Formats: sequence, structure tokens, C-alpha cells
Amino acid sequence: MAIDKVTLGILANHCAAAAESMAFTLYRTAHSTFVKETEDFTTGLTTPDGQTFATPTDLGATWFVGLNYGNVIRAFDDYEDGDICMTNDPYSGYVCTHPPDMHLWKPIFHEGEIVCFAVGHVHNTDVGGAVPASLSRTLTEVHQEGIRIPPTKLLSAGVLNQPILDVIRTNVRVPDQNWGDLKAQIAAMNTGERKVKEMIARFGIETFRQGMFDLMDYAEAQTRDLVRGLPDGVYEFSDYLDEDSAGGHPCRIALKLTIEGDGIEFDFTGSDPQLESSINMPTGGDPRHILMMVGLDYVLYSLDPSILLNSGMTRVCHCILPKGTIVNPEFPAAVGMRSLTESRVMDVIFGAFAQVAPDRLAAGSASGGPIMNVNSVDHRTGRRVVASIDPISGGAGGNPREDGTDGSGGNSSFLKNTPVEINEAEVPIRILRYGLTKDSSGAGRYRGGLATELEFRVYAPNTKITARNRDRNRFRAWGTMGGRAGGPSSFLLNPGSNHEVDLGNTDILTVAPGDVIKVACGGAGGWGNPWERPAEDVFMDVRRGFVSPERAEQDYGVVLENGGIDEAATEHRRNDMKSQASDAFFDFGSERNEFEAVWTRANYDVLTEGLAALPTHWRFFIKGRVFEAVAKLEAGGATSDGTALAAIMRDIVAEYPQLTATQTY
Amino acid sequence: MSYRIGVDIGGTFTDFCAFDEESRAVHTLKVLSTPDKPGQEVVHGLSALQERYGIAPADVSYFTHGTTVGVNTVIQRKGVNLCLFTTKNFEDVLEVARLKMPDPYDLFSRRPVPLVTKEKVFQIGGRILADGSEEEPVDEESVRAAIAGVRAAGGEAVVVALLHAYRNAAHEHRVRDIVHAEAPDLAVICACDVWPVIREYERTVTAVVAGYVQPRVADYLTALEESLAGAGVPAEPMITKSNGGIMSAALGKTQCAQMLLSGTAAGVIGASYVARMTESANTMSIDIGGTSADVAFIRDGAPQFGVGEMIGEFPIHIPTVSVTSIGEGGGSIAWVDAQGVLKVGPESAGSDPGPACYGKGGTRAAITDAFCVCGFLGQADLGYSAVHIDAVLARKAVGEVAKKLGLGLQETAEAIIQVAVSGMYLEVSKLLSRYGIDPREFTLQAFGGAGPMLACFVARELGMQRIVVPTTPGVLSAFGGLIADIKNDFIKTVYCDLDTATDVLREGYAELERSATVWLRDEQGFTGDATLLYTADIRYRGQSFEIETILQEGWVKTGDLASIADAFHAEHARVYDHADEEAAVQIINLRLVIVGTAPKPELNPLAKGSAAPEPIGEIDVFYDGGTHKAALYDRTALLSGQRIEGPAVIQQDDCTTCILGGYTVEIDPYGNLLISG
Repeated sequence: MAIDKVTLGILANHCAAAAESMAFTLYRTAHSTFVKETEDFTTGLTTPDGQTFATPTDLGATWFVGLNYGNVIRAFDDYEDGDICMTNDPYSGYVCTHPPDMHLWKPIFHEGEIVCFAVGHVHNTDVGGAVPASLSRTLTEVHQEGIRIPPTKLLSAGVLNQPILDVIRTNVRVPDQNWGDLKAQIAAMNTGERKVKEMIARFGIETFRQGMFDLMDYAEAQTRDLVRGLPDGVYEFSDYLDEDSAGGHPCRIALKLTIEGDGIEFDFTGSDPQLESSINMPTGGDPRHILMMVGLDYVLYSLDPSILLNSGMTRVCHCILPKGTIVNPEFPAAVGMRSLTESRVMDVIFGAFAQVAPDRLAAGSASGGPIMNVNSVDHRTGRRVVASIDPISGGAGGNPREDGTDGSGGNSSFLKNTPVEINEAEVPIRILRYGLTKDSSGAGRYRGGLATELEFRVYAPNTKITARNRDRNRFRAWGTMGGRAGGPSSFLLNPGSNHEVDLGNTDILTVAPGDVIKVACGGAGGWGNPWERPAEDVFMDVRRGFVSPERAEQDYGVVLENGGIDEAATEHRRNDMKSQASDAFFDFGSERNEFEAVWTRANYDVLTEGLAALPTHWRFFIKGRVFEAVAKLEAGGATSDGTALAAIMRDIVAEYPQLTATQTY
Repeated sequence: MSYRIGVDIGGTFTDFCAFDEESRAVHTLKVLSTPDKPGQEVVHGLSALQERYGIAPADVSYFTHGTTVGVNTVIQRKGVNLCLFTTKNFEDVLEVARLKMPDPYDLFSRRPVPLVTKEKVFQIGGRILADGSEEEPVDEESVRAAIAGVRAAGGEAVVVALLHAYRNAAHEHRVRDIVHAEAPDLAVICACDVWPVIREYERTVTAVVAGYVQPRVADYLTALEESLAGAGVPAEPMITKSNGGIMSAALGKTQCAQMLLSGTAAGVIGASYVARMTESANTMSIDIGGTSADVAFIRDGAPQFGVGEMIGEFPIHIPTVSVTSIGEGGGSIAWVDAQGVLKVGPESAGSDPGPACYGKGGTRAAITDAFCVCGFLGQADLGYSAVHIDAVLARKAVGEVAKKLGLGLQETAEAIIQVAVSGMYLEVSKLLSRYGIDPREFTLQAFGGAGPMLACFVARELGMQRIVVPTTPGVLSAFGGLIADIKNDFIKTVYCDLDTATDVLREGYAELERSATVWLRDEQGFTGDATLLYTADIRYRGQSFEIETILQEGWVKTGDLASIADAFHAEHARVYDHADEEAAVQIINLRLVIVGTAPKPELNPLAKGSAAPEPIGEIDVFYDGGTHKAALYDRTALLSGQRIEGPAVIQQDDCTTCILGGYTVEIDPYGNLLISG
């Protein structure tokens, strides 16, 4: 029987206090600066079967609300008081989602029985493997991405498993840091245990046991109320990653969202096959896998911030995740850079929901900005410096009430930048500019948020620059309801000089003394017709340096003259814009339009359906062959209905007799 | 006759605490604040003090006061039309801030609109590098263009905040001089003169807040000085500062960044004094008012300091008594959500209309109404008879909630209290883990209008065994100002490796000592005893945050780097539970605090009581699901050494203390309530 609603409210506060206390303990005692700066960690409490019922919201990564630990908890049937277990293997139960994330869980006992688990993870700066920091798009198997620990007891009945710790220490680049952060995680587990025992004393064991489930039911009921208020229907949306591997072809993420009553279905059929790069999302096909729930959680919480954040809220949804695709890769696909794909998966979910509630949700958030790292030698001290200098972020999409936030916002709201003064004192670079990127936002009645940009000069030879998570250099954040797509991201070497190089989506390069690097995130999309934005607001954007006078005229139809608005010319120009307006819900920008002129929906569907019929390990290869073949076609050579493409695929597959002849397209 | 008077001007009430230097008696008083006529409430209070206690303005020998005028200017956005000059190509410093959003789960989360919006930000050419060297001189043409921009924008004042000016102020000062020469009517504030510390956003936003409020604060202080003089007060007014010290009002007109959180800081100074007096060196103080509860930790009898405290929506990075505000107070409103779950807050009835039982038009049940329904309140008027409690209105409001919950009236009232207390438990738990504090080792000191009412409930939820309620819980900030020392902070960013810092330390501290002495002796005109406190912000190389470490003067003067490193390792271990004695240590900032000791009032001990105190009545109170008989006491009749067993209710002019069953109260020699359970 459910506990009473007054006690439930009080228990909710106590459970939140437990999760928050765990998070603050971890944050306070963590050794690595990475944990302190990025807050890429979680803590929480789960039921004995692994459902998260308490999550912190003040600190920590925002992606893991309602993570289900059931698969790794079930790895043992001999739990004892004082055990703490660990894993960082994405393929052992799909709880961990890439090897740098070390997940821990600790059974909490009451009178000899497990009442619940304290859980959490930390993203370690390095877990060994082929490259420093263990993450690179170029890696092709999970084996290259660092040491992997299958579910293992780190402590057995309170006794440290020294041999496994020694194995970890031997295989990572900065062992003291990993061990220091593990100790902080252990401290957080113990804080959780203490808080749970206090709750049992405060509320009684039966109330606590029942209350855990009631809290999830509570979140589920809140969420179902919200979903019931959304219009039933089927909403489709897809978006692309610029590259499926370093220098590769575009990669489609496709979603069919169905809302029926108080339930939601995400069908990701039609998304690309799994890739020979590390941007796969290891979900194991779990219909409520946490990586597929992140975008949903954002949407639901933004529509109703009173929803309790726990796994109850994700019960409203289930996903279809075809095997052997980027959203459900088979072992041993590399997964380290799944955050790049995660960002696009979120965009796809936001795009589908934007059609559900256009008057309540925003246009596309900015993304594609990297985390910038510099590896150089400081001429002032002779010391080698390896430093993360800044996340290059962008703003939120315009929404039905106001402009998107500039510089950060939307689903990239939790990162902090590093002060220019600290970077210049610590790292042998000279920063030439850090600020907002003019004209980067998508125009709209409510414009998208501007991107940030960073420009700096290096001083030492063989300086290595890494720019992890580069994307949106080609396909941009979309506008909605007449709003325009945001600007592309950019990465330039020696901009404005006669030896300028457009680095595209390059994510690692070596530069020479005197070289200048300029990097900018993509801008966010706009909401609503730009010509409906009050001319005074556009003029203010110009005065603030956010929009150039040229773009004010071109995108908004606001003509400026002599330091003011030319009212007559503006009215004329705006009338023109209005009469030429399209009624498309989305604006994707010319790059995607051009791409889709060849790669129509039908053509891409033929590709993904055809690939799905092939053995998994052939799919990426054949996809590459097909893209190359299509690129060689004369203009108009690919029909839009998929017939020409089907023929191309047939021919390519026919080159490989080892692929069975029974495949049909 | 000679009186020392402390005044704390809040949004609703202005509190007075008067100390009679001959009889050593403390008198307290509250009058309504007059935000429209600043200074007027002081005049009202002075005449009320004369009426009630016979204190003549001419006998006021010492006058300190705290004010929220600066904070209110920011919250209400009523500051000057301010412009900002930044280094060219870094003009978005306020727009971008530190990127992180207030609620990262919310796609619509926003940063506040900056106090200086971008069209009033102008770029200055020229560049200082991280080591303080000049790469490119100030582009004077860009300054002139910026001045023209200020004129066009109708700007009244300018903040100059350039990169690396904490290391070399020459460019900021050069720009200031040009503005002075070309536009002498514009007020100019250089960020490096407000608080010269590394990190451009933090330094800039601090200077911007300071520049934004400065003229308002200065006008206010002038009005106050005139009011006092007009009323015949001979003492030169002092104002309380965010760092828990005081300075002259005259100095406050130019150093207003220092006094933005004066009231809250003074409350903690008062609480620290009570903590030492009651031998509760480790104390968590909680000041609960109508809309919020301010929590502070006192260790070894001293308040804790921090930077980045919020002024309205903006962090200010100068040393400040560390106080965390929780959005729950006596006026927080109870409601029932769509799933039938009872919630309390964040909406508050505040002081206008206030809880329903105040009879000022409030109809929704607040925490105070729940206490009234449970029988704890309503036996006497609150707030020096300014508020009459109407239990009928409280029952009506709580009854609405009871209907939705399907519970009885008193059960509902208790549920409201329990939910409210669990909300405070949640917020305080975060702080305990953040600072690594075990609440069982701390005393809870409750003050503010609603603190003593909630104290037992909060202590019980947190597992705290000892509670102190000071003698004047409603006016502890005013009392804190009365006992605060004259105090100022100085900082110098040095950013160097500790193992090469000998000369940097010696020269840096010598420079800070000179500035400190000038401030105390020349600017403040103080002639009494002074002490210097040496600290430094230190970190391990690679860390992005520093720990303020207390240093001994000898280490600094003799270059005893090993002792400094040891002190840092020990402090790191205390704060973070680990230290790394092998790691390289960087010293980022040198800090110096100068303290001029203000005379402390010596309080009069209470008469000793021989017998049990006499209750003034017996009442029914409802808690833990049942009705209990409780004795009702008048606090002014309690004597030193007397004991009271709970359940009991102790009422006084400015608040009501609720004692639950199982708790025992002892009256200490100065009248503080020592409650243990």
C-alpha cells in the first residue's frame, strides 16, 4: 500500500538530501581538476532492482536521470555488507556508456537484507588505451579505448581488492588521479549509506521500502499528466552528423515519435548502421536506455519543472533501437565519443517534440563546439603544459516567448569556461579574442542564441591542439515556425592571412610558433518569422554587435541608415520577405537542402534498409562505397524516389559474392 | 549618560539595539522601514527609543548601522546608467559570464540580463600580458571614441575593467585619467581598485555592481548623516560591512562594494559573539525571516568567509561573511500539487500581506499560520505589538489545505510544519556535505523573527542536540553591528610557484601593509589597537581553485616557505579530506586583513533565579500527532540558572520560542536560552 502523500513529500526531500549530499561529498573530495571543472559525475540511490529513485540536481552531469543499474547489480548474487562494486565496461550490461566512466554501486543492508543501492559514476580523465584521455573519433574497437573492468567487487565486505586496483593503476596514465577520484566515489557511497540508515530510523523500514517505489510512481504520474496534455500523433524528424568518422560521410539519426494517450514511443529505425569510429551509442537495445532518454528528460522537465527527476519519469517512453545501428552497436564497436552522437540524438528528439508543441518548445540548440585542449611547452618556464582551455559552446534556440540565450544554454548549460587571464597565465598561448560570434544566430521573431568563439596564437613548435566533439561545420542547427537555421561552426588556422586553412571537422592538429587558431561553435536556430521581429530589437542587436547591418537587412528586412532605421525601406523589404515566405516548419540551411536534393528521404531510407539487411560488419563499408558512387553521379543522376539508389546498392553488393545472393532491395 | 546604538535597516522592519554603557542594559526596538524616505526610519526609531527607554539622541556616543540599500538597488535595477570599458575583443565578458546556467536541466534557463547591456560596453585598444608587461600601449583614440559612446548612451558613470589589470593597473588608470580630463563629470571606477584579483569576469562583475549602486549608496549615506545630525546625534555614523567589520559612513560613500551584504554579515557577527558567550564554538546559525532562512557556520567562534556571494542575481567577489540563503521562511505558503502531495514554498506571503493570521489580507496558509493552528502562536502579539495574531484566519487558511489533503485541521498544520522543515533539512544537508560538517558536533543558533519558533523542529530533523536562542533573536544583526570591529581586506595577485616566492611574499605583504595602514589610520582615522591577519590563496598546480590559508607573520617575513606549504597541505586536507605533499604548490593571491579593535560592550548578567520560573499560563499545543499541555512563559521574567522542561512556549517582544517535549531549557547568565534534547 502506498505511503501517505504528506510523508511522501517529506521523504522526497530526505531522498534528495541523500543524493545531493553524496554529490557534494564526491565533489568536495575528488582529486582531479577534471571532476571539479566539468562536474562530469553522478550520484544517486536505486531500488534493489536498480531503478534510480533519487538524483542530485545541484551538481553533476545532467544526462543520467533514471539510469537503471539492474543489469550490473544482477552480476552478483552474493552481496555482503560493506561491498562496493565497479565497472567501466560498456558491454557489461550497458550501464556504463563509455570506458572513462567508472560506475560504482554499493548495497545498503538493513537487518541482513538489501534495502537499496548507492550508485554513481565519475568520468576519469584517462583510463589508458590508444590515446591520452582515452577518447578519439579515430578508434574503431572498444579495446583501444582503455582498460575495461567488468562488474567487479572493489571492496568485499569492506576489504579493498588490491589486485584489481593494481591492474587499473598499471594501465592508466595518471594512476594517482584515478585512485584519488575512486576514493571520493567511495566516500560518496558511504555518505549515501549513512543517509539511508538515517531515513530508515526516521521513517521506519516499511515506509522507506515502499516510499522508494512511491517516489517513482509519483514522478511517473506527474509525467503521464504532462504527456496526456500533448496532442496524440506521429512526428518524424531526422538530423545528420557531418561525418561518420574522421573525414567521412554524413550520418543520419532518424526518429519516429509516437504519442498516444500518456505514452511515448521513440522508433530510431532508419538511423545509420554502426560505425567504424567511436561515435556509436552502446544501448544494448534497452527500450529505456539512459542515452536515449536524455533529450526526453530535458523536454519533459522544461515543460514542467516540478517533475521529480527519477526513473519514474522515463517509464512513459520506450524505444525501438535496431541492432547493429549507431544507436545499438554490437560488440566490439568503439563508443568513446558517443557524446558527439548523443548531442545529435537530443537534437532529433527536440526536433520531433518541436512539432508536438511548437508554441511551447524552442528551435534547435547550438552544438558542434569542441572542448579545446592545448599540449605545448611554456617558454617562460620550460615546462610542458597539457591543458583544457575552454569548451566552445553556443546558445539556445529561439523559443515562443523570447530569444535563445547567447553563448550557452539549451542542452549545453552545465559547462564552465576558463577565464582568459587564467589561460594566459597557465598555458603558453596569447588569446586574441574570446566572446560571442557576430551573425552566428538563426534569425527569427525570437532569434537563436549566439555562438562563442576563441582565437589564440601559439608560441612553441610541435604544439598539439585537440578539438574534441567538432561538428555542425556543415549541417546546422535548425529554425522552426519560420525561424532560420543557426550559423555553422568553424575551425580555422591563421584566419584572414594568405595561408588560412579551413580545418573543417578536424579534431587534432599540430601547429607551429606564431600560428593562430580560431574556433567557433555553431549558432542556434531562430523561432518564428524574422520579419515579425520588432525592428527596434533588430537595431539593438546591431548596436550590440550581435548582428551586422548587412544581415539585419538580409535576414530581418531591417534597413539601417544614418544610425537609425529607415522605416519606409524596412517596410518595403519586409513585405517582400513576407510574400516570398515558405510555410515549411523547419529551416535547415542551404547545406542540408543541397545534400537532401540528392539524398532524399526515400534515397536514404533505401540505403539504411539495404544496409540493415547486410551482416553488421559489412554495413559501414558498403555505406562508404555507396556514398562514393553517388558522389560520382552526374547532377540529377540519382532519382529522388530511391530507384537509382537501389540499383547502385545492388551493383555494389554484387561485387562481393560472399554476401549472399538472396539479398533483395 | 552614554549609549551605543546598532541599527539594521531591513526591507520591512528597522531593528534597534541600544547598549547603556553605565547600566550595561541592552534595549531593543523595531520600527517599520521607510524605503521611500531613507534615513526617516532612523529618526522614528531614535524618538521611539527616547519615548520608551529615555535615550536622548545627544547621549548617543557610538552609532553603527547596516542597510540593504545597495542590494535593493540591484534587485530593483534602480542604479545609475552605467557604461563599461573592456579590453578590445573581450567585450562580451558580462554576456558570456562563466557560461554555466542556473538550472542546467531546464532548456529555458537563463542568466540574468547584465547590469550593463552590450550597447553600453566599449572596447579599449592596448594590452597587458599575464606577467604584467605591456604588449601594446593604451589606444587613446579608442578611449575618446568610448567617451563619445558614453555620451551618446546618456551614461552617468563608467567602469574600466581591462585584462590583467590585477597585475598592472597602469592601463586602467591611464584610461581613468583620460576620462577625467575629457569628461570630468563622469564618475569612473577602475575594477583593479575595487578588488584586484585574477579572473576577468569575477573582477568585472564586482566592479560593475559597485559602480551601479555607488551613487545611490552615497546619496543614502549623506541623507542618513543629515538625519542623524538633525536629530542631534553627535556620533559619526559607522556602517557594517560584508566582511563582518565596520567603517565610517564617509568612507562607505566611495567603498560601497564593501557594504552590500552588511545586514546579513552583522547577524553572523552577532551570532559568533553569542556562540563564544555560550561556549558553543562550533555553531550553525539560522536566521529565519518571512521569506528566507540565512544559514552560516561558525567554527572556533569565528564566522567563515567566502567570495562569490550573491547580490540579487550577481556574484560579488570580495571577502564576505559566508551566508547561504534558503528560500523558506515564516511566510512560505503551503499548497497541494496535482498528485495530492503537500508542498511548502517557494512562494511566500512575505510581510505584505504576510501570513493569513496577520489579518492583512493574506488568505493562503503560511508556515506561521500552521504554528498558530498548532497553538504555539496567538497567545500574544508579535513584533513589538506591530502585528496582531488572528487564529480564526489561520484556521480558515489551513482549513483550505486540509480539505485538499483530506486531513484534520491540526494534522494538516503539523504536516505543513514537517514538510517545511524537511525542505530546510534538504538545503542544510547540502551545505553540511559541501563543507564536510557533522551536524552532531554543532550547536544550532536560531534567530530572526521565525527562527526560535522552528528551532526545535529543525534541530530534531538534523540530529543536532543543542540549540541556543539569543536574548535578542529579532535584532541580532543590529547587535552584531554594535560589537563589530573596524576591518578592511587587501589582496595582491602574485601567481607564482611557492618555491620561488620568498621575495614576492616579502615585498607583496609589505605593499599590502602600507595600504592597510593608510586605510586604517588616514582614511578611517582610527587611533586604537590594530592587528594584521596574513592569509594567502594557494593551490596545487593544475587546480582551478584556491584555498585561503592562514599564515603567520613570521613565515612571511623570514620566507619560511616550508611552513607555508605545510599549512596549505593541512588546510587542503581539512577542506577536501586529502593532501598531496609531493605536488607543486602555487601561490595565487596574497591577502591581508587589518582589524582595528572596537570597544566591546560588557553585558550585564541576569539576576540568578532560585526557584523554577513561573508560567504565565498553560496552553494546548499540537505536535507529533497529539495535543500536549504546554507551559507559557514571558521571556523577560526568566532568570539566570532557571530550567524549563518542554513542551513549553516562551514569548517575547520580537519572537516566540517553541520547546517540544523531551527538550530542556536552561537560562544562561546572560539570558540566552540553552536548549538540549
